[in-house]
Amino acid sequence: MASSKELRERGTPFKIKLITTRSPPPNPNLRRDMPVFKTPFNGYSVKFSPFYESQLAVATSQNFGILGNGRLHVLQLNPTITEITSFDTADGVYDLCWSESHDSLLIAAVADGSLKIYDLSLPPTSNPIRSLHEHAREAHGVDFNTVRKDSFLSASWDDTVKLWTVDRPTSVRTFKEHAYCVYSAAWNPRHADVFASASGDCTVRIWDVREPGSTMILPAHEFEILSCDWNKYDDCIIATASVDKSIKVWDVRNYRVPVAVLNGHGYAVRKVKFSPHRMSAIASCSYDMTVCLWDYMVEDALIGRYDHHTEFAVGVDMSVLVEGLLASTGWDELVYVWQHGMDPRAP
Amino acid sequence: MATQSDAPPNSIHGKPLNPGSQVTEPTVDDGQNAKAEAKKESSPTSVFVNSEPIREEQVQNAVKFLSHPNVRGSPVIYRRSFLERKGLTKEEIDEAFRRVPDQTPAVTTTQPVATSQDGQIKAPSNIQQQAPIQTLQPAPAGSISKIGRFSRFHWSHALLAVGFLAVSGAGTAVFFKKAVIPRLKSWIRKVVLEEEGLQKKYKVKPSLAEEAAAAAKAAAAAAADVAQTSQEMLISKTEEKRCFEELISMINVQLREMKLMSNAIDKLEGRTHGRIPMEEQDDHRVSWTGLRQPYANGKVDADSRSVRSSSPSASVEPSVAPHPKSYMEIMAMIQRGEKPSNIREINDAPPNPNQPVPLPRLAPRAKPWEVGQVQSTLTNVIQSQESSNGVSHESKDNQLNGDDVVPWWQRKNVRITEIDTGDEQKFGSSNVVSNVRPVQRSWVPPQPPPVAMPEAAAAIRQPKKSLLQKDQLTDEQSLARSADVNDELQRITKLSESGGAMEVNGGSSGLNSSEIQKEEDNSHLEM
Repeated sequence: MASSKELRERGTPFKIKLITTRSPPPNPNLRRDMPVFKTPFNGYSVKFSPFYESQLAVATSQNFGILGNGRLHVLQLNPTITEITSFDTADGVYDLCWSESHDSLLIAAVADGSLKIYDLSLPPTSNPIRSLHEHAREAHGVDFNTVRKDSFLSASWDDTVKLWTVDRPTSVRTFKEHAYCVYSAAWNPRHADVFASASGDCTVRIWDVREPGSTMILPAHEFEILSCDWNKYDDCIIATASVDKSIKVWDVRNYRVPVAVLNGHGYAVRKVKFSPHRMSAIASCSYDMTVCLWDYMVEDALIGRYDHHTEFAVGVDMSVLVEGLLASTGWDELVYVWQHGMDPRAP
Repeated sequence: MATQSDAPPNSIHGKPLNPGSQVTEPTVDDGQNAKAEAKKESSPTSVFVNSEPIREEQVQNAVKFLSHPNVRGSPVIYRRSFLERKGLTKEEIDEAFRRVPDQTPAVTTTQPVATSQDGQIKAPSNIQQQAPIQTLQPAPAGSISKIGRFSRFHWSHALLAVGFLAVSGAGTAVFFKKAVIPRLKSWIRKVVLEEEGLQKKYKVKPSLAEEAAAAAKAAAAAAADVAQTSQEMLISKTEEKRCFEELISMINVQLREMKLMSNAIDKLEGRTHGRIPMEEQDDHRVSWTGLRQPYANGKVDADSRSVRSSSPSASVEPSVAPHPKSYMEIMAMIQRGEKPSNIREINDAPPNPNQPVPLPRLAPRAKPWEVGQVQSTLTNVIQSQESSNGVSHESKDNQLNGDDVVPWWQRKNVRITEIDTGDEQKFGSSNVVSNVRPVQRSWVPPQPPPVAMPEAAAAIRQPKKSLLQKDQLTDEQSLARSADVNDELQRITKLSESGGAMEVNGGSSGLNSSEIQKEEDNSHLEM
């Protein structure tokens, strides 16, 4: 593990172009060739495992998630992308998250409003181990707490966010304040009790689980906000992605004016993710079929653009364990995993 | 639990010390530290709270908005949502809601309404009475001066105004009758006479000019017809051209689609390994955008994502992303009521809902943004080891996962963790943690190894601090080096085991293993 000094240097922002000689030290576990993986259904979300560098999971839904079954794939990157196992669901899977406390647990947000917990250490016939069904409408987002590692959130189209723990069959708390669908909820990476929720009512709300209601309301966009994520290195910075094609970066201490507005996507931005390794780097995917990498502290913020998808790019993730490793999935039923700086389609 | 394990050693080793005072000190400190903890917890979280004062202007705008009759009928949540979108804080919104029912706008508005109605009823009756003109002329002037007084004299105002209008109307009618009409009549007669005269003159040379004019008109009409028909021909030609072009483009599109499909099939077969030529990709993208143009306008549902049958579609998007062809087909199918044929019946219920959650095989790995905090939180890490329940890592400052080597206590804690809801447990645990800290600081020097052993264990991993701690250890060893001590310590741990309410297996096993380590250490040091 690198010393803290090295990581601090990595934390400072610097601009890199798409074609660059600087590349992270080669990880002996990962090969350079990253072919694509084809899923039978339309991709919705992709997440790297926080325990294993070469493991990731993909949430997919049949018929673009309109109506149909769903499937959760668990993939292995060594030596090429192969499927370890997959789980079928009656309804589409819109999102997934890995447990931060158990290396073999996965949580899926299903379009019928339930959350299903899968255990990879058990055979597929014993899975799922839990089905938590409380939401009245589609469950659209799940996020696991990275600080206390004991609880997770679910964001639903029934305007609520629910807090759960793996061992309880019912939710711990329900946060009901949004006036419209909640598309995403994200835990703060430093404060175990603070999280943010992004909703179609055009606001982002910041909550503290110890408080009865939301503690802050950010009217971040004029249109629906589809995703939000916290800066891992500055716990007061939050990025929001909206249907208005922009990504805005906010400081909660001064939330009337955004710190940065990132324009460049041609259509709605579906997901935004702060880099776990670089302080000001943000990855985003959009209905314009591209995955973009931004540095919001730089004048010319767009530092990379990948247009490998041929349909809406709906899911993107940056690996916490391997610096610069990106994954994306889209409605074109493809999952790409690549190192930033490389062409995702090249072997 | 920690306090209870602390107290017995005090009573044994520090005989002059009053165990009661020892116990009270931690509790007092505990209370203070709980407050300090609460303050500490509130001050960092205050970043995530609105600290702006209430803006009166915004509240007044909100009150006006809420008082509007249309708004009053809408659900409260939409009213709140609107105000939130305008940037009002919760406090401002609550204040506005508080103020709105206090007003009584209905009382003041009814009076003028009633009086104006009365005035209208009285006015027609008064017109009949007001025959003479001149008497009312000073009255309107008087009415103008009365404009200042509002509600009471409203009806008389209206009365006077109507009367004035009627009179003036009558006056103008009379004037017209008497003066204007005879003039008009004479003027008309003049014009008619002139015309007759003119007509007689012009009857002489009509024929030639008429004929020429007629011929010219006919020619013009013919030319116009010709022009029209030629235009129509042109239009039809261009339309035909357009149709042909569209056809060609459609065919091209289909061609490209087929190419795409073949490429996709190739990909599936694994032939190309993702190496699709760049030109094709460009074409493909162009063709896709060409395909999607017709569908961009055809999209009914404004929300491009939520395409479930009862999907929300309140907001308007700035520009709707063009959807894939098959997506639109499926949407159309659903709207017709058909179900896509590829859906299977799947039972995804858990086969055993009471399946126990497995033990983690790996400890959580440190996050790259947490690593920087390891050095600063070492002492916290050590102190949190004292607390035997798994909630030690609830405190914000305790970045327990900063440790790369998987500590035994962490593993045990993960297994133990029974997460009860919020306040009670968090409060209790924070108490415990806060208990531990001051107590730790106060009795580190004289304390025997078992409590300090985890320090040593950590110290072995962290070379920097180990020197200091090993020095402490040797001092402690010299103070208490006997088998009796070991026995007593074993008794102590058993006492703490039985006494500790929140203490579970981890704590006692932790202490046991620390004892083992201590014995090993003893032997090492003795050598």
